[in-house]
Amino acid sequence: MRGTRVLSAVASMLLALVCVSASGCAVADPSARADGVEPYRIGAVLSLTGTYAGLGVPEKNAIELEVSRINKAGGIAGRPVEVIYEDDASDAAKSQAASVRLIDKEEVLAIIGASGTGQTIAMRTDAERAGVSIVSMAGGSVLTDDFSQWVFQTPWPNRIVIPFVLEKMAAAGYSTVGLISDTGGYGVDGRDYVLSHADDAGVTVVADETFNSGDTDMSSQLTKVRAADPDALLIWAAGKEGAIIARNARQLNMPQPLYGGSGIAREEFIEGAGEAAEGVRLGTGKILIPDSFGVGTESYEVATSFIARYEAAYGVEPDIFAGHAYDAIGLIADALGRIEGEVTPGALRDALEETNAWVGIDGIFTYSTSDHNGLTTDEMVLYVIEDGTWRVDQ
Amino acid sequence: MEAAEFIQYVIAGLKSGSIYALVALGFSVVYASTGIINFAQGEFFMLGGVLSVWFYSLGLPLPVAGIAAVVATAGLGIVFERFALRRQRSANPLVLVIITIGGSMVMKSLARHLFGPDELSLPEFTPGPSIDIVGAAVERQALWVWGLTVVAVLALWWLYRKTRLGHAMRACSISHDAARLMGVDTARVVMISFGIAAALGALGGFAVTPLTQTSWDAGAVIGVKGFAAAILGGLGNPLAAVIGGLVLGLLESLSVAFISSAYKDAISLLVLLIVLFVRPQGLFGSKRREKV
Repeated sequence: MRGTRVLSAVASMLLALVCVSASGCAVADPSARADGVEPYRIGAVLSLTGTYAGLGVPEKNAIELEVSRINKAGGIAGRPVEVIYEDDASDAAKSQAASVRLIDKEEVLAIIGASGTGQTIAMRTDAERAGVSIVSMAGGSVLTDDFSQWVFQTPWPNRIVIPFVLEKMAAAGYSTVGLISDTGGYGVDGRDYVLSHADDAGVTVVADETFNSGDTDMSSQLTKVRAADPDALLIWAAGKEGAIIARNARQLNMPQPLYGGSGIAREEFIEGAGEAAEGVRLGTGKILIPDSFGVGTESYEVATSFIARYEAAYGVEPDIFAGHAYDAIGLIADALGRIEGEVTPGALRDALEETNAWVGIDGIFTYSTSDHNGLTTDEMVLYVIEDGTWRVDQ
Repeated sequence: MEAAEFIQYVIAGLKSGSIYALVALGFSVVYASTGIINFAQGEFFMLGGVLSVWFYSLGLPLPVAGIAAVVATAGLGIVFERFALRRQRSANPLVLVIITIGGSMVMKSLARHLFGPDELSLPEFTPGPSIDIVGAAVERQALWVWGLTVVAVLALWWLYRKTRLGHAMRACSISHDAARLMGVDTARVVMISFGIAAALGALGGFAVTPLTQTSWDAGAVIGVKGFAAAILGGLGNPLAAVIGGLVLGLLESLSVAFISSAYKDAISLLVLLIVLFVRPQGLFGSKRREKV
C-alpha cells in the first residue's frame, strides 16, 4: 500500500514537471519565432504600484504606445523592439532586484527606469557591473551630478528646475521661503539644491521640514513652517503627499502662496487637493501646454502628434511622466538605429552618447561623454493652477 | 512658542490620535475575546476607506456609502473569523496570528486588483472653512473624526456594561473555559468580536479618507501605529486603547514641534519598543493576567 502511494506521488510530480517545462517552452516570443528575427530586448523598471504609481502607469502607457508604433512601421533596421516590464512598487530594494533579473536573466540591452530617483540609484551598481545603460525618468540631479558612464536621464533634473522656480519666486517679490520636502531620493536631492542655491536666487530659507512617503498628515510640519512666517511655501515631493500638504496648508489658513516642481505637475495633485490646488504655481516642461513649444516648430509637431496618439489610445492626455518615457524609449530607438555592427549594450551606450539635437517631449536632447542629461532651463515654464487646470503664468 | 501654535500641535496630535484610537480599539476588542493579535486590523481600516469610495462612486449618498462600507467590512471580519480562524481555534495562538497576517495580505492584494493602485478620494462630510479654536485652526472633518470616535467608545461601553453579549465578551476575556461552563457560546462571541473590530477599523477608514485619501496600501502603516497605541494603553481595555491612541498622536505631533520632523514616524515604533521593554502591560494594564 505504502509503496503504491509513494509511486503515485512521484508519478504525479514528474507529470507536473513535464507539464511545466512544456508550457515553458510553448511561451516563446511570438514576434521572434514568426519572422525568425531576433528582437531588440529592452528592460523597463517602473513604479506601477505604491506612492509613485501615478508616475509609472503613464510611463508604461507611453512606452507601449511608442513600441507598437515602431514595430508596426517595421521596427529598427528590420528588427522589432521588445520591452520587458518590471514593477518596483516604488521600493528601491525591489528596483535593484528587478534590474538584476533583467540584466542577468533576460539579458536586456538597456533598462528604462526607474520612475523614482532613489529607485534609479539602487540599480546603478548592477548596471555598472554588467555594462548596461539605464535611461532614467526620475528628476533627482544626483543621477547625473554623481556622474556614471552608464546612467542617462530624460527629465529636467532638480539642478535645472530648482534655480528656475526659486528665481521666479524671488521675481514675484517673495524673499523668505518655507520648504517642505520628502525624505525619498527626489525630495532629498531637491532639498539639498534649494539650500545650496537659495542665496544665488535671492531668497532665504527660513523653515525646512520633512515628511516620509506614506505619511497622511503634515499639519504638524506645516504648523512649524507657519511659525517661521515665510513669504511663500515651496513643496518638493513627487508622490501623493503633495495633495495632502496643499490641503493641510489651506486648512491651517496659511496665507502663503505655494510653489513646487515637476513632482506636483500631476492631475492627481489637482484632484486630491481640490480647492487647495487653486493658485499653486509649479515649474516644469512645456508638454502641459504644447503651445509653449512655439506653434509650427518641430518640437510642437512631435508633442502634438504624441498627445493625439496617446489620447486616442488611452482616453486621457499624456502628462509629464508619459513625456519622460516617450523620450527614454525614443532616445534608445534612435541610438539603436545608428549602431553599425554588432548591437551590444556597450555599443548602445556609445550611440546614446552621440545623440545630437534629438527632438523629444522634454526638450531637444544632445548627449555627450560628459553630459547624460542634455537639457537646459530653456525647457522650463512656470504654470499656475486655475479652475482645476494649468495655465502659463505670465 | 505661542499658545496658539502649541494648541495647533495638540489639535494635530489629537486628530491623528483619534484614528490610532479607533484602530487600537479593534486590536483591543479582538485581544480581549481571543487572546490573539489580529494583524488584519489595518486592512479593515483600509477596506472602510476603499469600499466607501466605491459605494459612493455607485451613486449612494455619502453617509449611506459609509454605513454600507462599515457593514460590509464587519461582514468580511465575521466571514474571515468563521472560515479562516475558527477551524484552528484550538491551535497554538501563533498559528492564529500567522493566519491573520495571511488574511491581511490577501485583502491587500484583492483591494489592489479591484480598486487599482492609485489614491482615492472622498468629499468632506460638511465642506467649509476650518473652525477657529483659541487661535488654532480645526478642520471640520477632524470634528467628525472625534465625534465618531466618541460615539464608538460610548457604544462599546454600553455594550460591555449593559448587554448580555457584552457580559459574555467580558467573561471570555477572563476565561474561555469558565465562560463555556456558564453557558456562553464562546465561538459566537469570538465571531462577533471580529465583526466589531472590523466595523471600528472601517469607521476610522471612512472618516479619515476625506482628509488623507486612501488606497490599497493604506492599512500597513496605520496597522503598526494602531498596534503601538493599543500596546501603549494596555491590551484588552477599550478606554486604555483610546487613551493610548491619543497619547501616541500627541507624542508624534509634539516631537515635530520640539525635536524634528524627521523622527515623526519613528516615534510610534520607539514608543512600542520602550513600552514592551519597560511596562509590557501598557499604561493601564495590570500585570496579573496571563492569556494562553
